[in-house]
Amino acid sequence: MNLDLTWRLIKGGGRRGLLGTWLTLGAVAVSTALLLFAVAANFAFDARAERGAWRNPVPAASGPAESDAVAIEASRYDYVRDQAIPVVDLAALKQGVPAPPGMPRFPRPGEVWLSPALAELARQLPADQLAKRYPDPEGVLGDEALVHPDELVAVVGHEPDALEMTAPRSDDRIIAKPPVKVSSLAGTPSEDAEAYRALALIASVLMVVPLLVFGGAAARLTVARRDQRLAALRLVGATPGQVVAMTVAEAMIVALAGALAGAAVFALAVPLLAGIEMQGGPWFAGDLFPSPLALAGVLVAVPLLVGLSAVAGLRRVVVSPLGVAKRETPPALRFVRVLALFVVLAVFPLLTRGTGVGIVAVALALAFLCINLVGPWVVGLIGRITARAARGPARLLAGRRLVDDPRSAWRTVSGVALTGFVAGFLGLLSPGVFAGEAAPPQLRVTAPSGQVTQVAEEARERLAAAGVTATVQPSKQAVVAALGSSADAATLDRARTALTGLVPGRTPTTEADDQRSGSEILTDVRVGTIVVLSVSFLVAIASAGITAASSILDRRQTYGLLRLAGTPLEVLDRARRAETLIPLTVMGGGAILVGAFCAVPFMMGQVSTIGLITLGACVVAGFAGVIGAGALSRPLLRSVTADPAPRPD
Amino acid sequence: MNDVLVGRALVKRFGQTVALGGVDITVRAGEAVAIMGPSGSGKSTLLHCLAGIMKPDAGEVHLLGQRIDAMGERKRSALRRTRFGFVFQFGQLLPELPAEENVALPLMLGGVPRPQAVRQAREWFAPLGLHTMESRRPGELSGGQAQRVAIARALVTKPAVVFADEPTGALDQQTGQDTMRLLVEATKHNDASLIVVTHDPNVAAWCDRTVEVRDGRLVSTGVRA
Repeated sequence: MNLDLTWRLIKGGGRRGLLGTWLTLGAVAVSTALLLFAVAANFAFDARAERGAWRNPVPAASGPAESDAVAIEASRYDYVRDQAIPVVDLAALKQGVPAPPGMPRFPRPGEVWLSPALAELARQLPADQLAKRYPDPEGVLGDEALVHPDELVAVVGHEPDALEMTAPRSDDRIIAKPPVKVSSLAGTPSEDAEAYRALALIASVLMVVPLLVFGGAAARLTVARRDQRLAALRLVGATPGQVVAMTVAEAMIVALAGALAGAAVFALAVPLLAGIEMQGGPWFAGDLFPSPLALAGVLVAVPLLVGLSAVAGLRRVVVSPLGVAKRETPPALRFVRVLALFVVLAVFPLLTRGTGVGIVAVALALAFLCINLVGPWVVGLIGRITARAARGPARLLAGRRLVDDPRSAWRTVSGVALTGFVAGFLGLLSPGVFAGEAAPPQLRVTAPSGQVTQVAEEARERLAAAGVTATVQPSKQAVVAALGSSADAATLDRARTALTGLVPGRTPTTEADDQRSGSEILTDVRVGTIVVLSVSFLVAIASAGITAASSILDRRQTYGLLRLAGTPLEVLDRARRAETLIPLTVMGGGAILVGAFCAVPFMMGQVSTIGLITLGACVVAGFAGVIGAGALSRPLLRSVTADPAPRPD
Repeated sequence: MNDVLVGRALVKRFGQTVALGGVDITVRAGEAVAIMGPSGSGKSTLLHCLAGIMKPDAGEVHLLGQRIDAMGERKRSALRRTRFGFVFQFGQLLPELPAEENVALPLMLGGVPRPQAVRQAREWFAPLGLHTMESRRPGELSGGQAQRVAIARALVTKPAVVFADEPTGALDQQTGQDTMRLLVEATKHNDASLIVVTHDPNVAAWCDRTVEVRDGRLVSTGVRA
């Protein structure tokens, strides 16, 4: 019965009512699509971490259990052009060792297996620059062995007693992992993979909160349009339960349709999203699809949250039907909201870079939610100040409007203000890029103790045979080959190829190679920051646009009356602009400062210029976006006030 | 008496429906005219055309000898702000502004500084029986009180003509009579003309004459006292 009436209310809402329903549906669709993206990002990094885990071996337990070991595994990084090549050295200790991921069988001694991208590059470049390092590849690695589709990977088979499997190597995540006996090739996600997972989680929190706020705002828009009608239903005797049920049903029907549309939009966008390069390459499309359980969770959670949000928006109607019908002075918001924010902010100085990522994520989410709680309170306060200080009608109207309905005014700007928090947080956090000095390349390889001179001599011979001009000299425990200032990338790769296997298990590297991992992470943090901010701004600006349009529809009678009394459209526009820009300036600026404050415990070194530029760009883009969104609704204002004759709704 | 507002051969169509089929009407300075007629007769459309809210499809409207129907929206808007006042049945007050700011708003829109506009607005409250209501919001006023605030707002700019569309339609009979008395007295006191659209003969009785509209035409031009 209620459902039937609800369906009739949706259908019978008229052209403007339907427009509102479509706006809500669109808003929920956008937020669902982006929410799925935020969730999928975690699954995607998980999938990468799991697929790369086999290259990060877990040593078999020492003692008697060591006899369970089936293979020896070691890894190191080789380089070509400006890209890293993870090289995995494997040797079987028994017969019938299970195949590593992405391979049909365990590699035999002397066999080389290459990833498709590396095989392709080996074909493209002259053999003395790459192919000779990995001669006669036996086969191509499958996707299961790769972190991303463009990854350059080589797997080399050895005898267990070969020098590559016995000689000592460095043990760090950047250069190499020494040979270890393993009882399985499952491995464990690397430190880097774990770091990326943690960053993805934080990025998700930063994206999810504005999305939820946006979805909630969309739900309340439905209620705002309906509240007069639902108050009328209360006046004719509908019980609070009936009113709540009808509202929830309406909001959830629209939200479910929006969520399904959002899921479809996300699915269509996956090929585009897969092109975003992280960890040196794009994504397997399959990685970006959340698990069916997570997908179902989002599709259930979104309508539920929208329904809850609708109930919260209806409280005033249900408590007092006259509350809406008579437009009484709304009760002032409580200062306790501000106290809640201060309490959460007081926690941040206690955090450090060593604090668990879960705690940081929760603290960030709480700070976010508290800013959202404080928003309407601050908007009400600045509304009172604006109204008191207003000299002209536009400011007076804007100020009074802010006091009258601070929650609604906050909804228009909350997206951009909350994005200000993200920008403030990431702006300080983004470390600057190390300025690499353009020095002539030098290849350095550590030599076994007592063999430095001999290795240096062999290096000289190999480089001369390859036609590479270089000055080779021993330096402490290493041999350094200085290639001269005229050496280009091709010469460098010829030198690398010539020196391959010079010291078994070690790769000659340049200083840039050694810093590559660090700069890749920095690049990824920058890309991640841009992605998070883009998503947030997209949401914020869409939110501002939808709210501005809805606000005009809701207040069409007021605008009509003002026009009738001879108010020029410019005054109405100025009032609307002030109504948005005043709270945006105060809350956006405040949120940036709060975000920066929250980032202080996690800062590395000084404030980065790039971070500040990103922050500045965000401020400009945020204001421009909100002004643009407001300007887009101006034709709607013109149309609803074109016939200013008042009519009772 | 001088003619203040003159409508000549006014025609207005909405699609196939003829709302006004050639109406002539003249309102003189200080005169109160009631426009009566059944629902859908075209009386509100006539008011909207005379007030510059709507452009007639044919015919002319003159205010103090100046043709106003041919003006652009911007000029008509300025005219409504400076020379006309409005009182309507529903929701003519802005819900978020206190009563005194509702009254002061037309002055502020005309460029009067806010303190002066509010001071001028307050002067209207006591004579209209609204003492102590200055800072109440419309939702906190009774229907009669809200209409009196609307009367103050309509007259605060010293307009030439006040237009009232069913001004007592949402009030009980006694409050309606009180409101009409105040409206007519205040309008005359300010040397403004008054045009009231109503279907209630008791309301029309407060005016100097009554014109009747049926099917978009004037069937009676009333008798001047």
